[in-house]
Amino acid sequence: MAGPVLELRNLTKEVPTGNREQFVIFKDINLSVKEGEFVSIVGPSGCGKTTLLRVVNGLLPPSSGQTLIDGKEQTGADHELVMGFVFQGASLLPWRTSLKNVLLGVEGRKPPKEAEEIARYYLNLVGLSGFENHYPHQLSGGMQQRVNLARALVVDPRILLMDEPFAALDAQTRTFMQLELLRIWSQTKKTVIFITHMISEAILLSDRVIVFSHRPGRVRSEFPVPLARPRNLDIKSDHRFVELENVVWKQIEEEVKAAVGFAKL
Amino acid sequence: MLKPISIFGGLVLWHVLAIRVINDTSLLISPLVVIAKGYDMLFVTADLYPHLYASSWIFLQGMLLATLVGVPVGFVMALNPAVRDYVNPWMTALYTTPRIAFAPVILLWFGIDMASKVLIVFLGCVFPILINSFYGMRVVSREFVEVGRSFRLSRGRLFLKILLPASVPFILAGLRLAVGRGLTGVAIAEWFGATEGLGYLIFFAGQTLNLPILFVGVAVFAILGIAGFQLLKIIEDLASPWRKELAVK
Repeated sequence: MAGPVLELRNLTKEVPTGNREQFVIFKDINLSVKEGEFVSIVGPSGCGKTTLLRVVNGLLPPSSGQTLIDGKEQTGADHELVMGFVFQGASLLPWRTSLKNVLLGVEGRKPPKEAEEIARYYLNLVGLSGFENHYPHQLSGGMQQRVNLARALVVDPRILLMDEPFAALDAQTRTFMQLELLRIWSQTKKTVIFITHMISEAILLSDRVIVFSHRPGRVRSEFPVPLARPRNLDIKSDHRFVELENVVWKQIEEEVKAAVGFAKL
Repeated sequence: MLKPISIFGGLVLWHVLAIRVINDTSLLISPLVVIAKGYDMLFVTADLYPHLYASSWIFLQGMLLATLVGVPVGFVMALNPAVRDYVNPWMTALYTTPRIAFAPVILLWFGIDMASKVLIVFLGCVFPILINSFYGMRVVSREFVEVGRSFRLSRGRLFLKILLPASVPFILAGLRLAVGRGLTGVAIAEWFGATEGLGYLIFFAGQTLNLPILFVGVAVFAILGIAGFQLLKIIEDLASPWRKELAVK
C-alpha cells in the first residue's frame, strides 16, 4: 500500500498582533489523506480552516510544521504544481473567457493544442461545453463555480483543495452543485480536501469528516462516513446520515459556545 | 456615443447668446461665423493646415513619449516600494506645479524648436498616465494574484497574465486624462515664441482681437480633444471587450 498523498505534520500558523503575543490561528494540525479520499473539514466560523488550506497550498507560509505531498515536503508557492485550488469566490479572471480561464494553469506548460484539448475536456466534464467563449460576467454563479472547478482540475493535480466553493450559491444551486461534484469526483477519482461550514454537505460528499475546534483551530475529532457510494440525496434521510449530522452539530455547537467566551461571533 | 443633438443644441444656444443677448461682435461671435471662417481656412485659403499639423505632431509625440515613460515607471513604482518612496516626492512636486511655470525655463534650455514643445506636452501627459498605471497595478485584486500564485505562475507570467491585463482599464483612464492635459500643453508650448501651431494661432488672434480666428483655434482644440477620446474609446473596446457589457445602462 502506497503512503498518503497528503500529510500534514504539526502544522501551525501564527500571526503577529502588534503585542508581544502571537495570534494563533491553528495549532499542531496532523492529518493524513489517502489516495482518492474525499475529506471534509468543518468547524465554527473563524476556526482557521480557510487559512489552513491556504497554508497547505503555499499561499501563506506556515509558522512551523510541514506539508508533504507523496512524501515530499512542500516549501512555499515555488514548488511544482501538484495542487488544484478551488477558490471560495469563483475568482475567474474577468478578461478571459471560460476556456481561457481554464487554460490558465496549463498554457505554457503544455503544447497549445494539447492544452486547449484538455481544457475543453474539463469544461465538458463540468457540464459547460458550449460556453467556452463566454466571459465570467455572462455566467451564473453556479456556472462560474463550474469553471473554477475545471480550472483546478485541468492541471491534473495530485490533490484538489476546495475552499467553501459553494458558500456563495443559493440553496437550490448549491444542492445541484453538490450532486455535480459527486459525479465529477467519481469520474476523476481525485484526492480532495473540502472546506465547508455546512455539515450535511460535508457528510454527503465525504469519506471522512474532520471537525475543527474553535480558535486556535485543532483537529477535535474525525468521523468516517459509513455510507456507500454512489450517493444521491436519498441518503440524507438514512438514519446513519442523520445521526452523524447530529453528532457533528453537537460538537460544533460546543465549540461555538466555548469560543464566545473570548471572541464574539 | 456621440450625440449629434447635444452638439447641435449647444451651438444653437451659443448662437442665440451671441445674436440676442450679447449682440456685440467684438465680444462674442455666432458659431455660424466661426464655422464659415473654419471652412474658409480649411478649403479656401487652406492656411489652417500648417498650424493643425504642427500642433498634432507635437501632441502625438508628447503623448507617445509620456506613455512609453509613464506606464513602465508607474509599474516599477507599484512593484517596488523602494522606488516608489524615492520617486514619489519628486513626482508629486512636478505633478502639482503648474506647467506654465516650467515653460519659460524649458524654452530657455532647449530653445524654441520642437524638442522643448514636445517636452512641455510630455510633462503634461506623463503624470496622469504614470499615476494611473501605478494605481492600476497596486489595486489588482489580491484574489487574482492568489489565483496566479496557486497555479504557480512565474513572476514574469504573473505580470503578463494577471497584473498587466488587470491594469489596462486604469492605464486607458490615465490616457484619457492625458489627452486633455496634453492639449493644454500644446497651447502653452505654442504660446511662447512659436511661429505656427494652434496655440500660436489663438495667441496671435487674441493679440489682434480677431475673434473668428481665435474661436476657430479653440474649436479645433475641442475637436482634437473629442477625437482623442473617441480614439481611446475604440482602443478600450478592442483591448477589453469583456468590459463593454459591464457598463451601467
